Amino acid sequence: MVRLFKGSSGVVKFTRGFGQRGYALPDAPWLVVAWKELLEAFRDRRTMLNVVLLPVILMPVVISLPALMLNPKTIPPKILVVVDDPGGMDLARRMKSLRNESGALVTVVSGGGNFTNLILSGEVDLIVEIPKGFYENVSSGRTGELIYYYDPYGARSSVAMGIVQEVVNQYSEEVLRERLRAINVSEEYIRPVVAVAKQITSTGGEATTSDIITAMVLPMMVGLIAITGAGTFAIDMIAGERERKTLEALFTNPVSRGQLLMGKFTALTLLSLVSGLATLLSALIGVLFAVSSASGYASATAIPQLMEPSRLLYLSFGILMTVALGGLTGNAVMVTAASFAKTFKEAQQYVGFLTLVLVVPMIAIPYAPQSLYPVLRLLPVSSLAMFARDMIVNPGELGAVISSLAASILYLIAFLWLSARMFGRESVIFG
Amino acid sequence: MVAVEAISLTKAFGDFLAVRDLSFKVEEGSVFGLLGPNGAGKTTTLRMIYGVLRPTSGTARVMGVDVRENPLEVKRMMGVLPEDTGVYPRLTAEENLIYFGKLRGMEEGRLRRRVDKLLDILDLSEKRFVIADKLSRGQKQKLAFARAILDEPPVLLLDEPTLGVDVMSAREIRRMIGEYASSGRTVILSTHNMWEVERLCDRIAIISEGTLRYEGSREDLERLAGEKEFEDIFVRLVRGETVGKAV
Repeated sequence: MVRLFKGSSGVVKFTRGFGQRGYALPDAPWLVVAWKELLEAFRDRRTMLNVVLLPVILMPVVISLPALMLNPKTIPPKILVVVDDPGGMDLARRMKSLRNESGALVTVVSGGGNFTNLILSGEVDLIVEIPKGFYENVSSGRTGELIYYYDPYGARSSVAMGIVQEVVNQYSEEVLRERLRAINVSEEYIRPVVAVAKQITSTGGEATTSDIITAMVLPMMVGLIAITGAGTFAIDMIAGERERKTLEALFTNPVSRGQLLMGKFTALTLLSLVSGLATLLSALIGVLFAVSSASGYASATAIPQLMEPSRLLYLSFGILMTVALGGLTGNAVMVTAASFAKTFKEAQQYVGFLTLVLVVPMIAIPYAPQSLYPVLRLLPVSSLAMFARDMIVNPGELGAVISSLAASILYLIAFLWLSARMFGRESVIFG
Repeated sequence: MVAVEAISLTKAFGDFLAVRDLSFKVEEGSVFGLLGPNGAGKTTTLRMIYGVLRPTSGTARVMGVDVRENPLEVKRMMGVLPEDTGVYPRLTAEENLIYFGKLRGMEEGRLRRRVDKLLDILDLSEKRFVIADKLSRGQKQKLAFARAILDEPPVLLLDEPTLGVDVMSAREIRRMIGEYASSGRTVILSTHNMWEVERLCDRIAIISEGTLRYEGSREDLERLAGEKEFEDIFVRLVRGETVGKAV
């Protein structure tokens, strides 16, 4: 039997069927080009990295890992309570009960001593010292002082301090109330002003944790992913083809450069959609997981809130539109850069630089003052992030959505024209 | 009938004049050899004819169609084997042919038959499903040749078609070039292989420093150079050492 697969890798074996079905390909040259580009992309190891490994595995891990590591229930912080004043035993016992509530490992020891080396060696994250005279000061109406020994560089020390401080505040409140009762003074009397925070939202409802994530993170993330999604593929499809000397042979076919470019764009857009949506979905899960593990807010409730049918439709449309518009805009910019560059390396440098240029407005949008929004809706790149924000966060503001969408489309047309000009140049073949 | 005509073709890259005022005619059904030392302007001339470089001035006509006015029509009538094979490394041998066949608008049944036949003739059937990256230099060259003649265009432009190919395959390619011309089609061949030129070409043009030095049949050039061996003829003509009257 003929060894059909001799010398072929597993990926080729897996995708060979696409090539076989090439006989049944449509006649439109741009679709043929798109087919070939996708086939090549599937066989490129970098595709696995960009489309599968990075978005599906790495992104959720990167996002949720810090929150997971700081969650007291994941790795409980170790707290040592040193009681040098027998009167402070009540407070120490309350701290000891933290083990049941927060999962922190609390050890109580009596008597003084120098325990600070336990912090430096990492055996303990926080030492709480209840010094001599503490109870006397508290019971006689003065201030009882506790001492925290902690590692300023250790995040777990801060977590432990936060846990203990809650008990201390509670204890302090109780003592305060007792003192006020003894002199017949109400709590209101010593708290003349209290601020009550009320949320103002466009929907009129109260924002949940998932709403806040959606408003702050999602528009930025959507735009970011859309614009930077297919940079690697854009370099490969233009500068890579030139470097492999296949572009000259390709241009000897009776197919216009416009058709060839359209085929490449189709493949690039599909790849950026897949990579963008995969990254987005996994990042979103990562964020929700991180928030729920850090705040105790159940992801089981946060995710369905985002997935309410009324919101889901608008959200999905907004995300899809942004990823498609952003993907096309980003690809047009990348194709322009890759066509302009003389070598593959040069193209990589341009694309790296442009990625940064494109990313900065996306990161800045959540922090921009509202008064700047009308301007940001008209500027290149930021118009796209604003469109995402308007679609996802302010669905009611039709004028805002239209202005950011119109500006994004105009910039897309401009970038597409520029990329076609660059791809049409003679130097695109020979550098 | 004239199949290919170069009319005062000139190409400048900045201040450097790669090809200057180059004119020649290639008759239909003939094999035309384009000879010259490295950097003489052969590849640039071919690239202008097959439409990937735009002439600075002058033009070329293929089967009467002007390359400047209708480049896509010209490309439809030409099969090209460029200087670099241009084989896609991540596609299999078969996929490389399918891709170009589809881009050239071949009907599927005919494309399938041609792919089968060419892979068989060029001894590449066993490599059909092997990605081109794993093929040897010679196998890639044969694949690129198969790609150039896939839809049997009336004009074939070949830049070093047997470079890196083993003796048996080179012989097969030469036989196919000869057959191609005898079936009424036209071949323009750029090569450094003197023996190949002697055996295949009806007419030969010698280019040096971007200018056409001499053009004629082998006998014409022999008379002009006063030499019998074709390699000697070539060397003398490139150096401008002629004994006869230029054609």
